[in-house]
Amino acid sequence: MTPGMDLASAPLDTPLTLLGVGASTSRQRLATLGLREGASFRLLTRTIGGGRIVLVGGSRIALSRDLVRLLRAEAA
Amino acid sequence: MSESTRLRPSLTSTTTVASSAKACCHTSPQHTAGIDAPVVALVGAPNTGKSTLFNALTGSRVTMGNWPGTTVEVSRGVWRTTLTAPTCDCESCTCVSDDHPLAITLLDLPGAHSLDAHSPDEQLTRGLLQDGPVDERPDLCVITVDASRLAHGLYLVAQVRELATRVVVAVTMSDIAAQRDVTLDTARLSRELGCPVVAADPRRRTGFVALATVVRTALADPVPAPRPTPITDDDLVLDDDRFTWLSDAADTATVASGHDRLTLSDKVDRWVTAPVTGPVLFLAVMWAVFQLTTTVAAPLQDSLDRFFSGPVSGAATSLLTLLHLHGTWVEGLVVNGLVAGVGMLLTFVPLMALMFLLLALLEDSGYLARAAVVTDRLMRTMGLPGRAFLPLVVGFGCNVPAISATRILPDARQRLLTVLLVPFTSCSARLTVFVMLGTVFFGKYAGTAVFGMYVTSVALVVLVGLLLRRTLWRTMGAEPLIIDLPAYHLPTLRLTGAVVWQRLRGFLKTASGIIVATVCAVWLLQSLPATGGQSFGHVPVEDSVYGVAARTIAPAFAPAGFGQWQTASALLVGFVAKEAVISSWAQTYATEQPQPGQAGLLGDQIRAAFEQSSGGHPLPAVLAFMVFLLAYTPCVATLAAQRREVGLRWTVFGVGIQLATAWLLAVAVFQIGRLFW
Repeated sequence: MTPGMDLASAPLDTPLTLLGVGASTSRQRLATLGLREGASFRLLTRTIGGGRIVLVGGSRIALSRDLVRLLRAEAA
Repeated sequence: MSESTRLRPSLTSTTTVASSAKACCHTSPQHTAGIDAPVVALVGAPNTGKSTLFNALTGSRVTMGNWPGTTVEVSRGVWRTTLTAPTCDCESCTCVSDDHPLAITLLDLPGAHSLDAHSPDEQLTRGLLQDGPVDERPDLCVITVDASRLAHGLYLVAQVRELATRVVVAVTMSDIAAQRDVTLDTARLSRELGCPVVAADPRRRTGFVALATVVRTALADPVPAPRPTPITDDDLVLDDDRFTWLSDAADTATVASGHDRLTLSDKVDRWVTAPVTGPVLFLAVMWAVFQLTTTVAAPLQDSLDRFFSGPVSGAATSLLTLLHLHGTWVEGLVVNGLVAGVGMLLTFVPLMALMFLLLALLEDSGYLARAAVVTDRLMRTMGLPGRAFLPLVVGFGCNVPAISATRILPDARQRLLTVLLVPFTSCSARLTVFVMLGTVFFGKYAGTAVFGMYVTSVALVVLVGLLLRRTLWRTMGAEPLIIDLPAYHLPTLRLTGAVVWQRLRGFLKTASGIIVATVCAVWLLQSLPATGGQSFGHVPVEDSVYGVAARTIAPAFAPAGFGQWQTASALLVGFVAKEAVISSWAQTYATEQPQPGQAGLLGDQIRAAFEQSSGGHPLPAVLAFMVFLLAYTPCVATLAAQRREVGLRWTVFGVGIQLATAWLLAVAVFQIGRLFW
């Protein structure tokens, strides 16, 4: 298990660093959107269904709950 | 001018979509600059202004919108480049403003984040840029990159730069970047990327001369050497190299960054996508759209109705009398057929224009992408990703492009399921019938009745989706939602107007094509006697071939409360196109009682028919009819689109589901409803 916390437990509006994307099959798609290991980002909003809106590199990416639970991060 | 090239993606394999960029240009010279003209492909991540740029450069009207997945086919047009700015302000400028104009064939490829092809439309882009023979690829790629999120678009640039092709980067959305305090140095970016970079604003039509200049200069130069990459088969190593390269480029070129600053969009999103306010706002927006559509358009419709049933019918009759054709079959065809049918249909133009305007405003503002987030959980109960909401929303405008839009889904089974569900989305053609019946039967509650049909439509999509998921697609997993949210835009008059006109033109095209043909066919069948002793054109409609055929199938609808032959015949015609349902009624009743000025009584006649067929329960009967109309096969054009996407077998399967669902629901609505009304 990658250390840190999953995004469901991570605070909003706090600078975070992505540690890993778990067993997600969406690794490459996330990477093309800027969400790769070592990327700095912030969580902006909790969305309906337990998802989050992530601010990374100027992009706002909406992620669903299952993905949010797979991604791990630590405070930057 | 432009033309869409439809390349059929295979359901089970995406490799068949690859084609030749130059070959497809040579098949239809009227949409190209000629065989010898250079071919330039417009590529870029979804929602970077690519289609808007294409339309602005070519004067074309391909579908565009402020949400991902707008382009699902290849469009091509002629870009007449000049090296100096035009002196005029024409909408589609053809003025020659220098001595050296150059016509370029421009291709608008589907949006792609990368060349890795996760869905058929991305596979199409990859096929044209990478998999085809080198001499069949475009001569140059213009890659649109959003200035407000530079790194986001550079992965595709990295991959295309690894190919032996010329690349020009067009930086768009500079206004959004400025709002976020992001300042971009295009000269530095050009040096880092090793290709020309130019800023262009497709929405405000600026930077086009600079873009033309760098494109023409690049075309005159030899093909540059591809970007060097590590010699390895390990995709992870290659990816790391690309990300390092693009991060360095973005960091160097972005001289001041306000990336992390919260914007008004972010504050709005906290409400728009939130657990409680999100769905409430979504329903309120949809309700407002349909309420506005019906209440504002109704007076205009009434005026047009009076115009066609009065002066136009009167003028046609007078003209035919002057030509000594009064009382002949020609008068029947013109007055009771074309004028009554097509005229009735054209009264819905204000309604459609308003509907398209409101949907275009929602699209261009960026709200629809948020709606996909709000509905994601609902979609996932059916095993569909949130992205499947986008083709389903398109289906509320028209089912045909919605079927094509399913190509944005990466999984073949999810595409198939979505293709089968799209016909249950209530298209704008069905709206015309709902509005008319709502006005006739529910008066001031017409807007609510119509909104109720849209809620029913959503419920049908969910219930049929769940049914199929629990039976045929039990093993299908759901893709997690990853959606790139565009910034909220203040819709521009030009863009919104273009989208509205494009869709309205499509509606009118249908009206003047399928509808006129259907109206004439209905008139012909109504004029042909089914029994002896009567002559062509002088037969009561119930004794015509049309009336007899309708009477034969009418008993099947008796349990649903609308077993009268006139209604059954309208449903038969509606199988061709829902726009024809009202015109069919207008024709049928006009033929039955050809008194002057009777067309305005169409509503009364329909009300009387439902009263009679339902045994005194017209409201449940008309609700049952509306539900049937909502659930059964939308039109033959949708069937053709389904056949193209999923094949004949699944199309027939879909028709079976639609008819069974429609009949069972209609019977249930009437039988339960008549206990209360």
